[in-house]
Amino acid sequence: MTLSKKTRYSIEPILFMLPLLAMIGLFIYYPLVQNFINSFFRFSAFSPQKEYVGFENFFRLAHDKVIVTALKNNFRYAVVSLLVQVCFGLVLAAILEDQFFKKYSVVFRTTFFLPVLISITVICLLFTFIYHPTNGLLNGFLSLIGLGSWQRPWLGSSKTAIWATIAVSQWQSTGYIMMLFIVAIQKIPAELYEAAELDGAGKIRKFFTITIPQVKETFFVASVITVTGSVLVFNEPYILTAGGGPGTSSITLAVYMYQSGFFKDMMGYASAIAIVIFIISAILAFIQIKAFGTGED
Amino acid sequence: MKNRLRVVVCVLLAVASIAGAQQKVTIKFFHRWPQEPRYSFFNQVVADFEKKNPDIHVEMDSVINDAYKEKIRVLISSNNVPDVFVSWSDSFAYNLVKSGKVKPLNDMLAKDKAFADSFIQSQMKAFTFDGKVYGLPQTIDGKVFVYNKDAFAKAGITAEPKNYNELIADLQKLKNAGYNPPLTEGLMDAWAISHYLGTIFQRYLPAEVLDKDYNEATGEFTNPGYKVALERFQQLVNFMGPNASSINHTDARNLFIAGKVPVIYLQLAEFAYIQQGNPKFKWGYFNFPAFTDGKGDPTTLTGAPEGFMLSNTSKNPEAAERFIKFLLSKENAAKFVKDVGAPVAIKGAVNASNSYPELIEAVDLITKASSTTPWFDNAVNIKIADAFMRGMQAVAVNDKTIDDVLKDAQEAAKIVAAEAKKK
Repeated sequence: MTLSKKTRYSIEPILFMLPLLAMIGLFIYYPLVQNFINSFFRFSAFSPQKEYVGFENFFRLAHDKVIVTALKNNFRYAVVSLLVQVCFGLVLAAILEDQFFKKYSVVFRTTFFLPVLISITVICLLFTFIYHPTNGLLNGFLSLIGLGSWQRPWLGSSKTAIWATIAVSQWQSTGYIMMLFIVAIQKIPAELYEAAELDGAGKIRKFFTITIPQVKETFFVASVITVTGSVLVFNEPYILTAGGGPGTSSITLAVYMYQSGFFKDMMGYASAIAIVIFIISAILAFIQIKAFGTGED
Repeated sequence: MKNRLRVVVCVLLAVASIAGAQQKVTIKFFHRWPQEPRYSFFNQVVADFEKKNPDIHVEMDSVINDAYKEKIRVLISSNNVPDVFVSWSDSFAYNLVKSGKVKPLNDMLAKDKAFADSFIQSQMKAFTFDGKVYGLPQTIDGKVFVYNKDAFAKAGITAEPKNYNELIADLQKLKNAGYNPPLTEGLMDAWAISHYLGTIFQRYLPAEVLDKDYNEATGEFTNPGYKVALERFQQLVNFMGPNASSINHTDARNLFIAGKVPVIYLQLAEFAYIQQGNPKFKWGYFNFPAFTDGKGDPTTLTGAPEGFMLSNTSKNPEAAERFIKFLLSKENAAKFVKDVGAPVAIKGAVNASNSYPELIEAVDLITKASSTTPWFDNAVNIKIADAFMRGMQAVAVNDKTIDDVLKDAQEAAKIVAAEAKKK
């Protein structure tokens, strides 16, 4: 009797977890393993037949110049996103939470957060109008303020296309990170600021010695979100520059993976690129866990 | 008693309805035009067909262009192939045919000679593989230079250019007359580049070289003529101005229709946009002119038909045949020309009652062309086409050299050849 009771107790939590485990297994782990296997084959989306090619896809990957361009672009995404979304987002949050701005902060907070709520597809289409070489708002504005010589085909030049694409992401996502920081700043006890004021600290001093150390945790979270996000970025280059053009100058890993698989019909090679993306994300996730482990006070 | 009667009546009705349903067969029709004006046209055709054939129900489904390419590939490798579906010609069609799920139509055409003869015969070639016809063309197309007649007059150009050098001279004249840029294209669209390349390769290189290189197993792309051909394309790109790389083909076409740019390389199927966008516009067109040092036939026209295929695994092959015959009847083709404004492959369907003079001339041009060259991205394996298209996009913005592009294309050709030999 007691034995059966014991087993019943131990099986119940497993039963509760089973639906979730099945879902995760089916939709996350199974595709992951399947993708890993696929990367050793050559196959087409047209037919179910697969041909084993060993490490051929990975050898090709190592010699592919487009991969280097894509990695470079993803890296640019990450650096700019860290600087603009995280650092500038924090400054914005601090300004909006300042006593001086309290009165208007709701308006600004809403305005800055609004782009987060708009679909990225809509935003990209909107920005194709802004960047349009002849009728675009940006070039029109530049000539209006006397900077006509700065006009250029923003999305049509290999030198500016990637930066113009990155800029759109910043415009969209800075508000989100700012909101995270606002929440964090609101949690900082007011006494800390009062004490600093009594000691004669100015606004900038208070920002560096109180705000930044107090929002350290949020800073980590925000950095991880933006950096992993920039490894996976797909929509912006796919829509804005028609799949990473001109040439491959604004391509990212995710776009290259998509094109290799569904446009060039090299599903095995696309799987190999997916593995690269997975490894990079996994490393970043590992760093995240480590950073949190030591970051806790 | 009454209840029993009711039950009997109900059962009889149920049996009758099941029997009725069994007689009525369903066929699946899948196309790629969920947008107007073609969507309404196909809806109307299906409604008319069902009225005339009460025993057949047509289940119509459609997704747009690129999504269609992906979806039909998935369907064709499954057991759920639509009974009647749209296909592009040449390599796209061949890929579908290789699956073994596309029905050869030779028997059907042999049985109905009048139907077989109703097509412009040169357009059947694009769907014929190993002597078997796998698709029937609906629309036909060709790519030509369209020009603004007023601009030509203003620049003092009196005749259409007869060769490539004259074209370049005319573009320069237009530029000097204040039309800058004189030529436009949306280079952001990779396929628009492939249309140019297909024609230039065909005009410049000997046909034997192209036959060998376009074949997956023997393609090398090492002939020195390719470099010259790409340089010619670059010369044209230099006339397109600095903004061509950041607009798409629709933008470019609108610039032309608005009278801002005087010359553009357009598909005949796009004539309707000019006609509707600016009815007073005076425009003419000419085939891509010959290279004086070119080895290819200068009278061919680049362009390919699109048409319909039947499933080999259909449960109701007879109903599907009836539907495709109705869809491609002269009557419906004429209605298509009237509603959509694009040329069709059915003889006599484009006429004065349903179209404008330029379209009638266009069909003449296609019918009289010595042969048609398929779009480059349909003619070669997509890996090679991609190397050329993306490569020349990069060349247009000075990010790559023509030698780099050729090297990439040759690499791609090696991979394609290796794969083709293994098959």
